[in-house]
Amino acid sequence: MASFIGSYSLGFGLFFSIFIIFFSIINLKNSEVLDKKIISFTFIQFFFVFISFLGLIISFIISDFSNETVFNHSHTTKPLFYKISGAWGNHEGSLLLWLLVLTLFISIFLMKSNQQPTKYRIFTLLFQQIIIIGFFVFLIKTSSPFNYIFPKPNEGLGLNPILQDPALAIHPPILYLGYVGSSIIFSSALGAMVTTHVSKEWAKHIKRWVLASWVFLTLGILLGSIWAYYELGWGGFWFWDPVENVSLMPWFALTTLLHCILVLEKKKILTSWAMILSIATFALSMSGTFLVRSGILNSVHTFANDPERGLFILIFLFTLIFLSIFIFIFFHSEEEKIENNFFWLSKETSILVNNWFMMYFLSVVLIGTIYPIFLEVITANKISVGPPFYNKLIIPFLIPFLLAMAIGPKLNWIKSDFKDKFYMIIFLMISFLLSALIIREFNISFLINTILVTSAFFLFFSTLREFFIKRLKNLSQNIAHFGFSLLILSIIFNNIFSNEVITNLKIGETFKSEKFIINFENINQENGKNFKAIIGKFNVLYTDGSSDTLNPELRIYNQPNIITSEADIKTNLLTDKFMTMNYVQNQEYFNIRYQIKPFMIWIWISVILISFGGLLSFFKKRYEI
Amino acid sequence: MRFVHIFLIVSIILNFNFIKADEIKTENKIAKNLRCLICQGQSVYDSDSEFAISLKLVIKNKIQEGMSEEQIYSFLKIKYGEWILYDPVFNKNTYFLWLLPILIFLAGGAIIIRRFYNKNNLD
Repeated sequence: MASFIGSYSLGFGLFFSIFIIFFSIINLKNSEVLDKKIISFTFIQFFFVFISFLGLIISFIISDFSNETVFNHSHTTKPLFYKISGAWGNHEGSLLLWLLVLTLFISIFLMKSNQQPTKYRIFTLLFQQIIIIGFFVFLIKTSSPFNYIFPKPNEGLGLNPILQDPALAIHPPILYLGYVGSSIIFSSALGAMVTTHVSKEWAKHIKRWVLASWVFLTLGILLGSIWAYYELGWGGFWFWDPVENVSLMPWFALTTLLHCILVLEKKKILTSWAMILSIATFALSMSGTFLVRSGILNSVHTFANDPERGLFILIFLFTLIFLSIFIFIFFHSEEEKIENNFFWLSKETSILVNNWFMMYFLSVVLIGTIYPIFLEVITANKISVGPPFYNKLIIPFLIPFLLAMAIGPKLNWIKSDFKDKFYMIIFLMISFLLSALIIREFNISFLINTILVTSAFFLFFSTLREFFIKRLKNLSQNIAHFGFSLLILSIIFNNIFSNEVITNLKIGETFKSEKFIINFENINQENGKNFKAIIGKFNVLYTDGSSDTLNPELRIYNQPNIITSEADIKTNLLTDKFMTMNYVQNQEYFNIRYQIKPFMIWIWISVILISFGGLLSFFKKRYEI
Repeated sequence: MRFVHIFLIVSIILNFNFIKADEIKTENKIAKNLRCLICQGQSVYDSDSEFAISLKLVIKNKIQEGMSEEQIYSFLKIKYGEWILYDPVFNKNTYFLWLLPILIFLAGGAIIIRRFYNKNNLD
């Protein structure tokens, strides 16, 4: 019943697009005031999609296996929380979620943009409707979440256990809020170009959308990363996996756009660049969906794929890109000559430098991700592009980037000088001494490490100083930059000082290393709701006399019948201790992986700080208007 | 182009290399740079599949035979193809992969510098 209602309300939702477009076009010709009917219809469309989404969730909760999606991804013994999150833990449901957010955001946009010109609002709505219709058709034609199965099966196939996880339950919605937020930026940029509304006012107004999408995208990536850390069992948090890269690329584009908008809201320069970035961000979000859903990428995250769907997204994507190029060429006029003068040493330049490096990082990730695909198609040679590639091309460039990031925000608009900036040299020296000491202490005599740590410390101290000197001024920017310095420092130290062992142990055996002794005490069995758990008990004794008890788990899920390994992680402010265990085939041994990972929690904290900076900026603007 | 080459070589030299005398460290490092061919996007080091386990043994033996890291990579490349190496080799197939980002970086710099140069000319 719920599926039935869901399915029909999806159809009604699509139907309302016709009304919205019809009245929008009439409104465009006749009146200077936005027709109230359009807003109502947009809400009704959102309401229908919401009902449809609710229908899917209810079908999951009541385990209605006559619904194909529920049958494929749920099971009666699954905990309620994962029954609900299962609704978007699959291709069909996640697309319905996309659509839900698309219609929600355009409604919010119409409500919040009443100070903007009517024509601009209508055009934005029209462009957004093109995207919305595309997704409706995609959903109904190729990936309906409401397909009916007869006869009704008694039991479902279950959800992949590694997706049964709290972080992954909220990861897709948060990430999608970021992705879909970029669709508003896209439509709005097109709308602004068509109505020649690209201006400081537009920048001020769209900045909030940029910030909101950016915060969600940042948090979404963070959640995915945390999940990968504790669930995939290798103890890493970023693997430069294609699917991870795909979420990072729009993030780079959005971060660039965010900085570019900061200039644009002050004066009307870089307009073309801002337009290109707005289009690129959304195109990257869409191609991300395409690359993941088409199954072209070889990745841990490829859960569902189907060539027909990939083809549809590809055609849709190209249509949107051609449309935007067309509008950019024929409607966008560059009028920046008047205000375009700033000295080489100025905040404008530093933002250009930010854009320059961001585009470089983006191009590294983009080329690294798609080059192997093209090479395979053209020459049939399969190559892998993994972490070493990205490390080599990104790490050396981080050094000037970090330095520029420390200096840039302190410069004035238009023209600046180095007066009163001597403290920076002192900071630089302190940073260098500090990092030289740390690196030497740990016997890693590498020039690059010292320079990299120096530049990260330099940013760290410069932003720290700002907190005391400027206090509340520029607080949001400062928090975000401070968070970034902390992130780089934590990643480097985490990388350098990690300590890990992999060994095979029987119950009762011990493993000795220079720094610790691992004692495999026993195993216990426990029953979860839809799995049996084998819990190991390990005692780790350190040379300084302290000890830890770790209980990694093996879970044998009933449906689908999959064994997963659950890491046990002891977290404190300085280090994470991370242990997983796995079966060794046909033996009484278990494969034990034990890692000591310093500053792990600081990686998460710094990303939270970065997004908090964005959040603060989002609310700050509200008070100023 | 020469500048690009020098730049690339410098950046390659400057990369994170944790070369430790320790054999285990080298073993782990090699395993981390290899793709587990039967897994979905995992390195040999991170995987516990039979393929990964046997490959780790191969690496161990080769190190004990006195092979260098580079020799082991090229040995595995011949045996399993380039697909196994996470660090793509610099050859005619990958010129674009390695150089395009650098060229984009240089082009970006050129655009920014030209902005100021043009403006000064107008003044």
